[in-house]
Amino acid sequence: MEKKLGVFICWCGSNIASSVDVDKAAAEAAKLDGVVHAENYMYMCSDPGQQLVKDTITEKGLDGVVVACCSPRMHENTFRKAAGSVGLNSYLLEIANIREQCSWVHQNNKPLATAKAVSIIEGTLDKVKENLPLETITIDLTKRVCVVGGGIAGIMSALDLANAGYDVVIIEREPAIGGHMSQISQTFPYFHNVPELLKKKIDEVNAHPRIKVYVNSEVDVLDGYVGNFNVTIKTRPAFVDSAKCTACGKCLEVCPVKVDDEFNRGLSQRGAIFRYNQLETAKIPVLEQGDCLHFADSDSEDGGKCTACVDACPEDAIDLGTIRSLNEEFVGAIVMATGYDLYSPTNMPEYGAGKIPDVIDALAFERLLDPKGPTKGQVLRPSDGAVPKKVVFIQCVGSRDPERHKAYCSRACCMYTAKQARLYRQQVEEGTAYISYMDIRSDSKDFEEFVQKGMEEENLVYIRGRVAKVIEGDGCLQVFTSDTLSGRQVVIEADLVVLAMAMEPKAGIRELAKKMNVTIDGDAFLSETHIKLYPVESSTKGVYLAGCGQSPKDITDTVSQALATAGKIQTMFSNETLIADPLIAEVKDDVCSGCGICIEICPYGARLMNEFTRISDVNQAVCQGCGACIAACPNKACELINSTSRQFLRTIGDFASRSEAV
Amino acid sequence: MGEIVELNSVIDGEPVTCACALGDLTEFESVPVDRRVMVIGGGITGITAAIDLGNAGYQVMMVERLPSVGGRMLQLSETFPTLDCAQCTLTPRTVESGQHPKVTLKTSCEVEELKGEPGDFTVTVRQKVTYVDWNKCTGCGTCIQKCPSKGISLFERDAGRMTAIYTLSPQAVPNKPFIDADRCRYLTRGKCGVCAKSCPVGAIDYNQQESFFEARVGAIIVATGFDIYDWKNKMPEYGGGKIPDVIDGLTMERYLSASGPTAGKIVRPSDGKEVKEIVFIQCVGSRNPELHKSYCSRVCCMYTAKHARLYKHKVHDGQVYVFYIDIRSTGKGYEQFIQQSVSEEEIIYIRGRAAKVFQNGDQITVQGADTLSGRKIEINADMVVLAAAMVPNEGAQELADILGIKCNDDGFFVEDNYKLSPIETGHQGIYIAGCCQGSKDIADSSAQGSAAASKVQVLLSSLRRQNQEAV
Repeated sequence: MEKKLGVFICWCGSNIASSVDVDKAAAEAAKLDGVVHAENYMYMCSDPGQQLVKDTITEKGLDGVVVACCSPRMHENTFRKAAGSVGLNSYLLEIANIREQCSWVHQNNKPLATAKAVSIIEGTLDKVKENLPLETITIDLTKRVCVVGGGIAGIMSALDLANAGYDVVIIEREPAIGGHMSQISQTFPYFHNVPELLKKKIDEVNAHPRIKVYVNSEVDVLDGYVGNFNVTIKTRPAFVDSAKCTACGKCLEVCPVKVDDEFNRGLSQRGAIFRYNQLETAKIPVLEQGDCLHFADSDSEDGGKCTACVDACPEDAIDLGTIRSLNEEFVGAIVMATGYDLYSPTNMPEYGAGKIPDVIDALAFERLLDPKGPTKGQVLRPSDGAVPKKVVFIQCVGSRDPERHKAYCSRACCMYTAKQARLYRQQVEEGTAYISYMDIRSDSKDFEEFVQKGMEEENLVYIRGRVAKVIEGDGCLQVFTSDTLSGRQVVIEADLVVLAMAMEPKAGIRELAKKMNVTIDGDAFLSETHIKLYPVESSTKGVYLAGCGQSPKDITDTVSQALATAGKIQTMFSNETLIADPLIAEVKDDVCSGCGICIEICPYGARLMNEFTRISDVNQAVCQGCGACIAACPNKACELINSTSRQFLRTIGDFASRSEAV
Repeated sequence: MGEIVELNSVIDGEPVTCACALGDLTEFESVPVDRRVMVIGGGITGITAAIDLGNAGYQVMMVERLPSVGGRMLQLSETFPTLDCAQCTLTPRTVESGQHPKVTLKTSCEVEELKGEPGDFTVTVRQKVTYVDWNKCTGCGTCIQKCPSKGISLFERDAGRMTAIYTLSPQAVPNKPFIDADRCRYLTRGKCGVCAKSCPVGAIDYNQQESFFEARVGAIIVATGFDIYDWKNKMPEYGGGKIPDVIDGLTMERYLSASGPTAGKIVRPSDGKEVKEIVFIQCVGSRNPELHKSYCSRVCCMYTAKHARLYKHKVHDGQVYVFYIDIRSTGKGYEQFIQQSVSEEEIIYIRGRAAKVFQNGDQITVQGADTLSGRKIEINADMVVLAAAMVPNEGAQELADILGIKCNDDGFFVEDNYKLSPIETGHQGIYIAGCCQGSKDIADSSAQGSAAASKVQVLLSSLRRQNQEAV
């Protein structure tokens, strides 16, 4: 039976009516096949306008409606809801966009614009004729969350979610949570004590009955989709039984291994069994398998034999036979808080990093400032332990250098450099701090004042220019730079050089992003859906982004983002089930040859080969209706529901025949 | 329970027309108080928070001082670094906030008083007059077409003139007009009444009185946004607002906007001539602790680069100069945006502060220094655009006093801990987000809006659990 169709043309004030003759368009539309009602109104989206649509649907028993107005992104929902409220299936209403695609772009030719509007309406009517009534898809929802990364972003997101009553698992690759923040001494711009701030939060996480932390762990496999993720977690063996260990430290004394301590950025050494960091929360030693002689190649001396720590442990807490474990967690949402690494200074041979011991990176300088760090908070030169009288801080090392390194700005360096220089000057009164910069980027609340104070009260010497090279001179380092303000070449004799290295995404992020099915940009930072409106949503539904894995930022902005992910997830969890649009792909079973091209092309992982039928199925909960598989299918076996090829061809046919007439 | 009291109707002892029009409160009051939230400020931050909370099942009352929501973002043409159309990004959100079954808009409203405690605040709100009964008004726009008075509009700034009865923008939500009492001929001189005569539904009400109502809510989000530093009165060195072709960045947005008064054409305000040479001056009033504001306004470097590029897209043979102190392009993709502006769009950046701007015959002369070459510079331009400092919106201190939260010396609200509690204030249950806390861009503002929504949900859900346990 042919559908009874209604057409409602909106003036949009004068937006449409000034270039489209709405009376004529309605008269033309009324003549079209199947149309039993056509009229126009000044603001169809207003309450009286919507009422008009609703009343007409009821009175005339319409079973298909076209509203000719602005872009469907504006009011498709509005009108579909209105139609639904009087019992017409929402998916039998379509929008004909005659504003953005017609009246706004054809303001000088009313007859032609009117003709075009009518053909847009006709094409849309033809689509509606073949639209099927649809029901929304309901998806189960597991109200648990997995947070990948236990830095400050992961911690803050997890705490808000747990405090809101949801179970959270944190997966942390390192032996303890806290991330880079646990390496930092004080904050800018208020010199707050970081270990104190952080300890409170870590204690809260550890004591929280709703948070479970997997340290030494990584995501092995991710299955499932929004509301129903299945995360397989791979955990490296801890070897030390935290229930038995009393943290007496005897094992640390006997371990014969000495390697650079990564946490202290190589400023101190540790054994193969060691305390990961100085925080109270990491008292239990951890054993790094890769450094331990027990696990070393049996050809080498002592290989496979050393059990010094096991023998020394009075509590019998160390078991070198522990193996890695796999755990599964079922969650409804995931937060990617994977953080950053510093770009390796070895990429900058011109600054001697890695070769000259007194050229260190900024995180190493933070370790020098930490009262519990390798120098007990004294700023001392790594080479000889002397107090440096002249320190040169170099900013933008690896950042803002599109030809050779990273094109982007790392955002936090200007401020932490100012902070480090000020802390140095507060400690070494007779010292001089030089800061080489390109632009000073102190662009947040009280930041500018913080830098100004550094210049005025702590006499920081800012030199605008890029350092060309750093070489070892006679008992000092020579820093060659130019002062672009005076136009002169400058050579500074320094005792210590600190490099503000670029931030880059954590190592292994490419593989992880692939596993989590989230997209990354050219620099491997995780991509958000929309930089302005959806800054914490990833390309995959149910996976959210927080912190420096998304782009470099400071702690404050990281925390705001982390809390935002918690907000988004709480919003999602406020319902018992999830609702998805049914405008997705479907497969004609008798046409599909099971070639699998659609599976490769699907950006959401929504297409799966059915092992029994050898037909490629559509996972309704995952499919976003993007249409990629439809274009790719060599057999035309997939169609987008209510946007089938037949519907498109008919619409295009309408345009073609009309344009000939024009 | 009758929680909403028409205070002045009680006080006066006789019924008056209530200005409050849209936003019937039955829905809002249909849930317990620990499921109700007030968002003060209807810009992108407030809208983000309100929609997040509405989607989470909370009843949200969004209180906006102006007659429609959308805030500053609605005035923008395109946004950096993607050059997306701001209206196209924002209007679906404003429309959503207007139609959301759980969001009640209270526009032309201001908060007057706060009582109560976290989980159960009572807020007294003043409903200001619009002189239009929005319950009757259909938004047909006839009154706007007929109004004989033209003048400066809040929305178009200096770029265009509006009638005395108008909506803030063509896509205003709610899309109902209000009368600017200072410009209305009837209200100032008692003669005219054209709008009242032309209104087909009799919605114009020159005798409308302001009213008050009370709302009980569990938590409050403050997202009152920013204004532009009063450079016209405070910066005579840049013409003090007396040179017509010296405009500020927000006015430039209106010139650039396709739906703006010049339909996106960059012409001189003085004579409508196309602008061939244009100078942008950054840090106007910012980073100047002795005379103006000591802080950096964070977004000016980026929006100036955006202005410069959009101008070049419209005037291919135009020449652009940008005076800057430091280029601050710290967000994702921002540095690359600047690099492209310099290398591909041939925008000339001059490092230095412009010292003086004055009318010189047909043109404007900008005097400054190039600190890189150490030379004095003088440029004659057709138009000068000032990236004036962002300041907290008017009334921030008064609102802080009402709510029992703190402002810093610059008038920005103070967060509990800058690093780990950037959303919380000293007053539990009251949260801050967006530019009222400190200058920031749209991405950071909208993240904070969602963060505030999280804080509210954490507080109210734990209060509900405590109450359940107590029972």
